[in-house]
Order: sequence, then C-alpha cells, then structure tokens
Amino acid sequence: MSDGEISIEGGESSSVQENVPEGVVLNPHAQVCLQQLLRVWLGFERDLSKVPLLRRIDLGTFTVEDHQVFLRNIRQQVIEGSRWIARTASSFDRNHSEIRSTIISHAVDEHRDYQMLEKDYVASGGRLEDILNMERNVGSEALHGFLMHRSSLPNPIDLLGAMWIIEGLGEKMAHSWAERIQELTGLSEESTRFMTYHGHNDSEHMQRFYATLDRVCNNEESITSIVKTAKVVARLYRLQLEEIEYDIQ
Amino acid sequence: MTVYITSTGSFFPGPAISIDQVESILGAVHDKPSSLRVQIQKANKIQTRHYAIDENQQTTHSNTEMATNAAEQCLERAFLNREKVGMLAVASTQGDLPAPGMASMVQAELELPEIEILTTHGICSSSIMALKAAWNSLRLEEHEAALVLSSELASRLLKKQRYEAATTSTFAAKRIDFSTEFLRWMLSDGAGALLLQNKPAPKGLSLRIDWIRGFSHAHALPTCMSVGSAGRPTDSRTWQDYDTYAEAEQDGALLLRQDVRLLDNLMRMGVDGYLRLVEEGVSKPSEVDHFLCHYSSHHFRNKILEMLDTAGVGIPEERWWTNLYSRGNTGAASLFIMLDEFLRTDEVSVNVGDRVLCFVPESGRFNTTYLQLTVVEK
Repeated sequence: MSDGEISIEGGESSSVQENVPEGVVLNPHAQVCLQQLLRVWLGFERDLSKVPLLRRIDLGTFTVEDHQVFLRNIRQQVIEGSRWIARTASSFDRNHSEIRSTIISHAVDEHRDYQMLEKDYVASGGRLEDILNMERNVGSEALHGFLMHRSSLPNPIDLLGAMWIIEGLGEKMAHSWAERIQELTGLSEESTRFMTYHGHNDSEHMQRFYATLDRVCNNEESITSIVKTAKVVARLYRLQLEEIEYDIQ
Repeated sequence: MTVYITSTGSFFPGPAISIDQVESILGAVHDKPSSLRVQIQKANKIQTRHYAIDENQQTTHSNTEMATNAAEQCLERAFLNREKVGMLAVASTQGDLPAPGMASMVQAELELPEIEILTTHGICSSSIMALKAAWNSLRLEEHEAALVLSSELASRLLKKQRYEAATTSTFAAKRIDFSTEFLRWMLSDGAGALLLQNKPAPKGLSLRIDWIRGFSHAHALPTCMSVGSAGRPTDSRTWQDYDTYAEAEQDGALLLRQDVRLLDNLMRMGVDGYLRLVEEGVSKPSEVDHFLCHYSSHHFRNKILEMLDTAGVGIPEERWWTNLYSRGNTGAASLFIMLDEFLRTDEVSVNVGDRVLCFVPESGRFNTTYLQLTVVEK
C-alpha cells in the first residue's frame, strides 16, 4: 500500500470480524452476548496497541527481525490450536452433534496452518531449525494450558468466546497487519501467507459463528461463561504477544 | 438541578465555498494543484464549507470574533438578560493567542462583567469538555446561566504558505504525504454557541441535558491527529524544542497531521463507549429518536455497524442527522453548529419528548464523548 492509496473510508480496512450475513436474527440472549463479546474484542484490540512489537506496526518502525520473532513465537500456539479445537469437538455429547460437526470441520480447515507459518519464516530469511526448535513462550504455555483444560470439560460452549478472539485476531492479521508489514519491511507476500490466509472465508466463519451462538446461548449462564472465556483468552493471548519482547532481548 | 439548553447560535465566516473553490481559497502549494484533493473530498462528501481567510489567505475573522458572533446570536435569541450569565466556557483547538486562554479574549469582546471563565484545550471533544464543566457548574447551583462556545479557525493552519515554508519536512521530501494533506481538504471554519440555564425557555423548545460521558484511550493508543511534531517516528522533538520557531516550521513541526492508518481505532473506540453506555443502562438504543454524530454516517457504514444491528443495538440510519455536508467539518464547533441547525431545520421533525443522542469522537488521541438531550417545552 503506497501512501497515496490509503483507504480513507475508514471502515474498509476494519479488522473487526466481518461479513455479517444479511438478515441474521439472534435470540435476545445471543444478542446481549454479542454486545459483550464486541466489547471484549474492542478492549483486546486496543490493548494490543500497547504491546511493544505491535506498537512498532502502528508507529512504522517494525523490522524484518520483528516479523521473524513474531512467527517464531506464534507457531507453537498455532500447532496447539488445532489440538484444543479437536478436543473441544470430542467433548460435546450427542445432544450437541451439530456443533460437533461444525467444530470438526473448523479443525480440519486449520490443522496444518503451522506449516504455512514455517514457510513464511524461511521466506523472511529465518532458518527452519530455529523455528522448529522454538519452545512455547510463557504466554503460550498459559494459553495452551487454559484451552486444553476448558476443552476437556463436557459440552464446553464457553469456547465460543475463545474462537471469537482467535478468529478475530486472524482477520486483524489479514486485514491490518500483513500488507503493512510488507510495506515496512520490504518482505514479499511469500512471508505473510499465514496472515493473509486468515482473511479468506471470513463470511463463512462469521455465519457459522452466529448460527452456533444463537443455538448455544440461551440463558444468562451461557452468556457469562462465553464472555468470561473470551476475556481470559484475550488476556492470555496478549501475554503471549508481550512475551515476544523477551525473545528479542 | 436539571439543566437545559435554552438557546443556540452559530456563525460562519464568508460565503459557502464549493468543492471546486476550496483550493483557490487555501491556495495551491507552489502553484501546483494537489493530487490528493479530489480523492479526499470525494471520500468526505462535504459539498460546501466556510473559511475565515480570503483568496489571498488573509484572515477575515479572528477566532475570537467568530466565537463572539455566535454568542451574540445565541444571546439575542434567548429569553434572558445577559447579566444573568455567570459563566463563559470556550472551546477551540487553537485560539488566536497561545496565551491567555481564549475565554478571556471572548469575554472581553462580549463585555460580560466579572464572570467565571473556562478555556478547554483539545480538538473536537474540547467542546464537550466545556459543555460538561458548564453543566456541572449549573448542577452545583453556582450559576443560573452559562454560555458555552466552540469555535474553529482551521484554515490558518491549512493555507499554502504553511506547506511552502516546510522545506525540510516529510511533506517536502515525499511525493505524496497523505498524513499532512488529509485534513487540509477536511476542515473548515465556524463557531457555535449554547446557552445553559437552570430552567427551560419560557417559549419554544429547550433541550434538557440528561447525561454527558467521555472515554479517552490515550493510555493505549498512539497520537493520531496533532500539530507540533515533525511526524517522524524516531524524532521526539516538539515545536518548542527547536532553536527557533522558523526551524520548527521548516521541519514541518507546525503542520497539522492525521495518521490515517490509525483512524479505524476511532470508530472502534466509539462503538466500545456506546456499548458501555448501553451495558450500564445509561443509553437505550430503542429510545433514541435522533442521532447527531460529529462523524458522518458514511464513515461508519461498515461491518462494525452491521454487527451492532445483529447485536440488537444499532440505530437505524433514518434517525441520523447531520449538517456536515453543507457546513463542513468545523472540529470542536461541529456539534454546537449541528444542534443550532437541528432545532431549526425542516429536514427533520423535532417533537417534545424526543431523545437526542450526540456523539463527538476526537481522533487526536482517541477521546470519545457522548451526551443525551431530551426535547422539552415549558
């Protein structure tokens, strides 16, 4: 994106989850849940601006090394991501078979994403063995631990809150970060495919999300649990990103 | 103590300037037409605006004069002896003098004796800061009436000479420097006035102030709109840190800048604050009859607005009203100018009992402000 071609309509590059299907009518509890999830997301997104690595994207001082260290630190979570999603699917009983199908197909979509990420790392000048040997950072440990715990509980509908945050971030990477990182670092599209990939199928993901939210969120208790899990995941995800700074040092 | 807006006024310097005339007023930098003007004007959809400078970029009205003129109109329309005004609160992004505060200068012009004054400093939301302080003063029963003014004279910052003088700036160095030119085709001049009283006007409609709230996100987000730095991420100097003001000007530290990339945050934080007010039960979307937004609706016509609809808290577009397209974006003055015209326009039916939600977001460092008014009649 050159300086002269910036979208000045503002909304066009919005990274909030996009493509709300026409005519979606959520039940009143799901509506309230969506209001609260929006606030959790907006707060998470705002607080990400304080994370030093991401601040450098905003300020225009982000480097190739920043991109590499980001990929190195995010890989473990991407690998583990497909595990907790798969476990979530298996934790739903026969009364939730429809949700189980949705989650299984989601897990299939994403379970090899980390390989794309490894290729991006090499394309940006990193050594494959460095990213393969990278351990989970402190934040990734906490996030993984929490998600595996929740996904092991019976019928863990609260993990819809986790998906909300993690999917939202995927779209933010695709719509706000990937192009900007290329512009700031001079890296090619080959180095940001993991990020841009998550901008695909937004509409489909959102439709699935709304349908699932409408189905499972039918009372105060479910609102509370979904929103609580969204908050915990948002905080632990940010911790994971904050921990990247220690890798740089 | 309940407080009412009992009179309003506004002032625009000079004639309405059309899209094609804008560059002849602000001036073509180095006599070369801007390559960004049409694109930016097309995006903001502003059809006419006013400037307090002429085609030779000479000031025709000072900021103090504009504020005073809006105040005079407001007072002339009021059912109140001007001696009853106990407080004058004035908001502007930049008064005529860096010091003293603009309220001192406006008070002198209005010849209001021995009143309490307040000057608020900021950008668009400074008007709401002034309004809230005046509202609170009346609520505390310290005054019976307060005059709240907001006035902007942006064009002095936007005239061609500013850009021509910035010889070592990012503007001079880049082929296209979007961040320094963006606001040049957005902002214009004008002033608005509100009279606050502890009782509604004896005749006609008044606006009861139900609540005023603000949420600032400067703790988390970078500066988005500013004057005073050269706009280079690695240079922390501000205009007063240069040896001479001339050097600061050359370096572009006196140019008005907008980091357009960060602007999306304003809408996001605007929505967050709104959802917070809904969550607290302060604002009830279904009860909002009119929505007056300092930002035009087409800026918000995006996915996040659709999500508000899906979440059951959207405000239907037929309830939005603005005069941005005819009056221009006058920064801090915008909302007061909008309220003044809203009460007089035939475009919308304003009835007793109607609830008016107002939203003034400031991109400077992301301050989002909200207020609700109810239309009343004595």
